[in-house]
Amino acid sequence: MDFPLELLINAIIAGVLLGGFYIAVTVGISIAFGMLDIVNIAHPAFIILGSYLAYIINQNFGLDPVLVGLLMLPVFYALGAAVYQVYYLSFEKRGQEALRGLAFFFGILFITEVGLILVFGVDYRYVDAPYIGPTLRFAFVDLPYRLLVPCVLSLVMIVVLQVYLSRTFVGRAIQAVSQDQGALALMAANPIAIKRIAFGISIATAAMAGAFLIIIQPVEPSVGREYIGRVFAICVLGGLGSLPGTVIGAMLLGVVESITATFYGPSWAPAVAFGFLLLTLAFRPAGLLGR
Amino acid sequence: MRSRVFLLICCAVAILVFALARLIDNNYVFFAGYVVLQFIVLATAWNILGGYCGYVNFGSAAFFALGAYTTVFFHKVYQLPIPLLIVLGGIVSGLVGFGMGYLTLRLRGAFFAIATLALAVVLQTLIVNWQFVGGSRGAYVIRPNTIDVLGLAVPYIQYLFLLMLLLTVAAIATARTIERSRLGFGFATIRDDELAAEACGVPTLRLKLIATTVSGALMGMAGAPFPYYLGYLEPSSAFGLAYAVNSIAMPMIGGTGVWIGPLIGAILLGTIQQIATVTISSAVNLLIVGVLLVAFVIIAPNGLIGLIQDFLKATASRWRVAQIGVVAIATYCFVLGILVVLISIPWMSSGAADRMLVTMGIATCTVGIMLLVCSYALLTLQRWGAMLTACSLAAAIAGTALLYLVNVIKPGSEGILATCIAIAGISVWFVLRSDVRSIYDKDVGIPMSSVPRTGS
Repeated sequence: MDFPLELLINAIIAGVLLGGFYIAVTVGISIAFGMLDIVNIAHPAFIILGSYLAYIINQNFGLDPVLVGLLMLPVFYALGAAVYQVYYLSFEKRGQEALRGLAFFFGILFITEVGLILVFGVDYRYVDAPYIGPTLRFAFVDLPYRLLVPCVLSLVMIVVLQVYLSRTFVGRAIQAVSQDQGALALMAANPIAIKRIAFGISIATAAMAGAFLIIIQPVEPSVGREYIGRVFAICVLGGLGSLPGTVIGAMLLGVVESITATFYGPSWAPAVAFGFLLLTLAFRPAGLLGR
Repeated sequence: MRSRVFLLICCAVAILVFALARLIDNNYVFFAGYVVLQFIVLATAWNILGGYCGYVNFGSAAFFALGAYTTVFFHKVYQLPIPLLIVLGGIVSGLVGFGMGYLTLRLRGAFFAIATLALAVVLQTLIVNWQFVGGSRGAYVIRPNTIDVLGLAVPYIQYLFLLMLLLTVAAIATARTIERSRLGFGFATIRDDELAAEACGVPTLRLKLIATTVSGALMGMAGAPFPYYLGYLEPSSAFGLAYAVNSIAMPMIGGTGVWIGPLIGAILLGTIQQIATVTISSAVNLLIVGVLLVAFVIIAPNGLIGLIQDFLKATASRWRVAQIGVVAIATYCFVLGILVVLISIPWMSSGAADRMLVTMGIATCTVGIMLLVCSYALLTLQRWGAMLTACSLAAAIAGTALLYLVNVIKPGSEGILATCIAIAGISVWFVLRSDVRSIYDKDVGIPMSSVPRTGS
């Protein structure tokens, strides 16, 4: 098989744009799994939930999906805080998060998916927005707005989060809670409250990611499953709890997936992420920028 | 009990089950029974790794599908008898389980769980792109109508049922043998504290590899006859999330860490699902599994077995008959409650056209939920447990009589109804006896904080 240069460059650029979107999808897991040690495998389900909310509001009121995502941030934050409270009382407090906490999130993932199927069916849903469709062109390079908008906004989001985590007291407390809860308590910060805030933020990012997802591709309830592997692959690849690592991991995976899809067919793309994950776990479990 | 005696008892039960199924002589019983048995094997297999070692496997569907696709592969290459295919499926899945364990088990537990999810998608992608076994179009496996077993022409579905029954016996016997051997104790040390076990010289990696291999192999064996059962296999049904959820939910609901937990969970959930598929829809029955899973991990982390064990321990000084009676009544309330809720769902969703039916549905559903609460209250020694049980059962009796009088319940099931009412009546009398009520008067209830206990 020959590799035409133009196709390759386009594939790489599409991959970078896709990687930008993967940042938004993964950053929630980076916080929950990397910093709080909560293996929230239901995160993709929350993303799909965000997509469906964007779809409902976009179709009924004509609101821009990104705007819907922004409006949903507080709602998802509250949802995340509530889920964390249940998780804390039922599992963390009793020291059972390993086995039963995982099963809990798996159950939530499953309930969300089946619930959405029962309400909306398995049809693909999509949104309308002015930037879905047109493409920015430089010579032979295509920059579809549909990918560009989520990519740029994701980058903005992660920069904001990084600044928040490294400059504010609560942000630093979130980073500290992953290292030493006892020490944090001595600093007069309640570790549980800090974790609740962090998990709320983590789920809030899912609202944005959901809006981006439905801009990029039509969505149906079981799409989320493909993202479980992707988010954890990126998270582990970049190094747990490291936001810059998440950016690198997301870009890398986006590019490799895009090249695979262009040259070998899209049906192979899901395996790339998981292959990455298995290899990383086997050879460098700490990730690229791991502590 | 010695293993050999246990195996004999299992075989006797299996023969009894098969004889009963033949007695009913309806092919649907075999079709439904096969699925339940298949879930018993899957749940038992999951429990060997998840319950005994504490490693969560989300990829049960992958191992199951691997077994199924091994059969498809050999079906295309060279036709082999099914028992041999089961062994082959077991070998292939066992090898994959071994490799998977080797790659990931040196890491923390959560990574293993994620990696199993990953494995499921990688394998599905491979199968989708592998045209020889049908790719995404799927593959047909035409099964003959009958087969000769010892010179007798047996309908094929009965033959499959029999094979699955034998496999179930084998799986349960294996699980129980492991549980009581040195191997099982080693697994338990891994589950309770892996670091301490390692420090004490337990060969943890080797033990975990044994667990993944055995668990994977059993799942593969459960999947091997599947293409013959369905007649047609395609990736998204073989890798369906339903298998992964069920094989986790069943041990979690029954109770992890003991062989009987997955057995009870699988029989219960499997039967409920078969009923719900027929009466409501197949999407709803998956929702029920998900809701039950989440409810159980939050409310009763050690499953039904855990609830009963805690109850027996807390009331150890009591009158033996009262203990057994309360456990029996709680079980009855639980099963009845779920059935009642299931029955009421289609009534409630019958729409505005039939307002009376909707009202009755809501009432019935309330009684069902009350019964579920009762079974929980009885076992956790809530003060109001006995009174609530008496009231709910009385309401259930009255409701059943009413429903029968207004002809919602079709005539012809008087025998079953009368039995149910009789059992409920006896239960009310039993719960209201002073020596049973005294359990609930004196004890303050098992507080939730006493629950942290990983099993066994």
